[in-house]
Amino acid sequence: MASTAPQHRHELETIDLHINVGPQHPATHGVFRMVLTVNGELVEDCDPVIGYMHRGNEKLPENCDYRQIIGYHDRTDYLAQFNTEWTYCLAVEKLMGLEVPERAEYIRVILGELNRVASHLMWAGAFGTDVGFFGTPFMYAFREREVIQDLFEAVTGERMMYNYFRPGGVAWDVPDDFEEHCRYVVDHVRRGLDDLDALMTDNEVFLARCRGLSPVTPEQAINWGLSGPMLRACGVKHDLRRAEPYSIYDRFDFEIPVGTQGDVYDRYLVRMEEMRQSLRIVEQALKQMPKNGPIMAEGLKRVLRPPAGEVYARTESPRGEYGVYIVSRGADKPWRHKVRGASFCNLSALREMVVGNYVADAIIILGSIDIVLCEVDR
Amino acid sequence: MLGILKTIAASVGIAARKPVTVQYPTERKELPQRSRGFPTLLWDFEHDEPFCTGCQVCARYCPTDCMTVTMKDNPKYAEGKSPRKKIVDTFYIDYARCMRCDICVEVCNFDAIVMDNTWRSVEMSRFDRQDLIMDLEALLRPSKTGQLKNPFREPMGVAHSGWRPKGEGAERGGEEE
Amino acid sequence: MIGDNPWLDGLLRLLVIAVAIPLAVIVLNYLERKVIGRVQNRLGPMRVGPYGTLQAVADTIKLLTKEDVRPHSADRWTFELAPYVVVVPTVVALVTLPLTDDLFVRNLALGLFFILAVSTLSIVGLVMAGWGSDNKYAILGAMRSAAQLISYEIPLVMAAVAVAMVAHTPDGGRGSLDLVQLVDGQGRVPYIVWQPLAFFIFTVAALAELYRQPFDIPVAESEVVGGPFVEYSGMRWAMFMMAEYVNLVLLSALTAIVFLGGWNWPLGNEVGPALQVPLMAIKTALFILFFFWARAILPRLRIDQLMAYSWQVLLPLAFYQIIANGLVLVYDWPDVVLGVLSGAGAVAAMLLTYRMVRRPAPVRRPLAVAAASTREVRV
Repeated sequence: MASTAPQHRHELETIDLHINVGPQHPATHGVFRMVLTVNGELVEDCDPVIGYMHRGNEKLPENCDYRQIIGYHDRTDYLAQFNTEWTYCLAVEKLMGLEVPERAEYIRVILGELNRVASHLMWAGAFGTDVGFFGTPFMYAFREREVIQDLFEAVTGERMMYNYFRPGGVAWDVPDDFEEHCRYVVDHVRRGLDDLDALMTDNEVFLARCRGLSPVTPEQAINWGLSGPMLRACGVKHDLRRAEPYSIYDRFDFEIPVGTQGDVYDRYLVRMEEMRQSLRIVEQALKQMPKNGPIMAEGLKRVLRPPAGEVYARTESPRGEYGVYIVSRGADKPWRHKVRGASFCNLSALREMVVGNYVADAIIILGSIDIVLCEVDR
Repeated sequence: MLGILKTIAASVGIAARKPVTVQYPTERKELPQRSRGFPTLLWDFEHDEPFCTGCQVCARYCPTDCMTVTMKDNPKYAEGKSPRKKIVDTFYIDYARCMRCDICVEVCNFDAIVMDNTWRSVEMSRFDRQDLIMDLEALLRPSKTGQLKNPFREPMGVAHSGWRPKGEGAERGGEEE
Repeated sequence: MIGDNPWLDGLLRLLVIAVAIPLAVIVLNYLERKVIGRVQNRLGPMRVGPYGTLQAVADTIKLLTKEDVRPHSADRWTFELAPYVVVVPTVVALVTLPLTDDLFVRNLALGLFFILAVSTLSIVGLVMAGWGSDNKYAILGAMRSAAQLISYEIPLVMAAVAVAMVAHTPDGGRGSLDLVQLVDGQGRVPYIVWQPLAFFIFTVAALAELYRQPFDIPVAESEVVGGPFVEYSGMRWAMFMMAEYVNLVLLSALTAIVFLGGWNWPLGNEVGPALQVPLMAIKTALFILFFFWARAILPRLRIDQLMAYSWQVLLPLAFYQIIANGLVLVYDWPDVVLGVLSGAGAVAAMLLTYRMVRRPAPVRRPLAVAAASTREVRV
């Protein structure tokens, strides 16, 4: 007689755990929330929640004149301020048809590249902490960042929110000992980079964590809209400084580091090498810089009124492609001011990259994207 | 294991170096001349009054709207002791709002406001937010007492587009860069 | 024997231990911060007391005066007893640790076995802490720490047993678990020379037992949530930290005794405690320094890499070490053969570690994800 009792399959009933990697994130990335659905240790789904840092960075400049908006860009990407100010100034200069004098261009290049080094150093320190170091790469990186910030303080007066570039040039000239101060900084940072290298690059445990983690193919990278070191680590040799040279980048000889697999370790290598190439650019710029000259375009009024029109300018910021889109109606305040944040577009690929990896790796992958929450949320 | 051995060797070398800590607050690093603290007003020792005439240009250009300025007729002008027709009456800066962007210094026509580059203006911790609203007397104090020795005036830039106050003998004061 | 009364003698020795433990914790906490600070090219604590020496005292006072928080839904007795279950076995193990020939509380003939077995009981305390906290992170951390500690306990014990097998006893035989006899047998050559592989396994397993970098994933769940310790504050948390530092002293001293010759090598057994205790302290300090250094310069391994390393590399090598020792004992070969076989094993360990790390990780394809529009927005 067939049994009518239900057949019990003795399977272990498991449920998926929802882990909230909450807005109070461990100190490295800002207020960002990920809701991970976890099966044991494997991440099944990842739901990023952004918006905790939204401050109206695009709406508020509609009430500000063109000089006051520079401060907003400082605070959008607070680790690469010179690069963001530069993008904005390029946009306004394109709109107004301004010609930036030579010396100002060289100053911009030197400060922008040093800011790239500082931003990557901050990333290296924070990434080391994510991977599990007890603060050692953080301290080494910040030791070098202090030296760079001292240079910035000597030039502009501020350590973080410089407000130094202006549409048409820079606000004031650099001090007399700028060149030797720069050379000192370059030498010091080179030696510091050797320290970081010795600590992390060949470290077996670091390799075990990062090598082969979440590889991204070039097609995927382009489809997901990645840019910057994320894109170059996948093998796509695309750098806006070469593809669409803005300012005077066509005068410098530097290489674009490119990875092979697009995994976390390749991103690390690309950023480390980018720092060294930036120092190369700084040295060349110091040699080529004219000794004196104007640092501001001629004939600028105190209040800028660009002609009506729209413009989109983009530069290679340390995080990727940072773009500024301005619509002007001829007034002294822009009609629409939009920022294309590199971190926002890179972060949109987080779900695809994280799903299928372990929980501890999710943190590392997030760290390797190098997000700045103010750019994501504006 | 070689990588870890390399790390150990490097870290031993680094541990032998002199630590880079500056033990604040017993030691302080030297601030450069251009260091941007909070804005402060300059005192004209020749005429014994502030340089500021209360023209409100800085308040208009401030991105955070942190300044409130009013002007009054200068009694010393009537007595013939000063070339300024108007002088500042009240001046409030809310340091809690100020973002030290330096635009007020750039647009000032009388070079009356500078960024304070001393340690005092960086160590601005207060227990109550109201204590961060500085009035005219607090703003003039660093210059009057001589604490503000060498403020930074940028010689070139959009502000110094060659504009000079009309008529006055261009009482500029302050140090040149 | 101090005085003639064995009770007084026992009490005084226990008192020494009871005083030494908080002192050791305070001193080691301060030293750790100083050493790690120097590796990071900065000063450590400098403010509290001359050169920051009273920093740990200030921390202790802070921890003592903190509010004792217990989650409402926590399992009360499990939660409250867990710190003690973690601390007490470690302290009990410390009771049988000899400092010199006769500076100990009680030396057992099974000394090595007793220490390793009793300190394993702390694992129960960790699981109790994780379970009693009623917190997802705590449970995850507790499971991971239980897995890690049990996995690394085996190579640890096997490496120690391997050395104990070939230890020279005073009566000319081989094999002893008595710690004093182990040290006495190292009069001329310390066992690290004959057993480098066991030394390597023991050190790596000790790093894992202390959950220090590179094996500290249980207590660094996303770097902020402290694993099983997340819901503890104040003195209960201090108990866990105390257990960690006492365990550190215990394992360092054990390594010094078993592998470096304790108080015996190189000065010999006759010089008296005035020289032997500092010698022992120096050797222990050497290993403590190594553990601090490893914490500063190594990142952490993921839990599956950690387990793979223990079960796939350390355990087979530990077996090999025991078998090699057994062969030497059976065929009565000279000690040099021991050193050669073990040295070959140590080289194999390095190579295996290198290979495990250098091979590319398996490429994990992301699982097929549903289209974004079908996911509901979680607020």
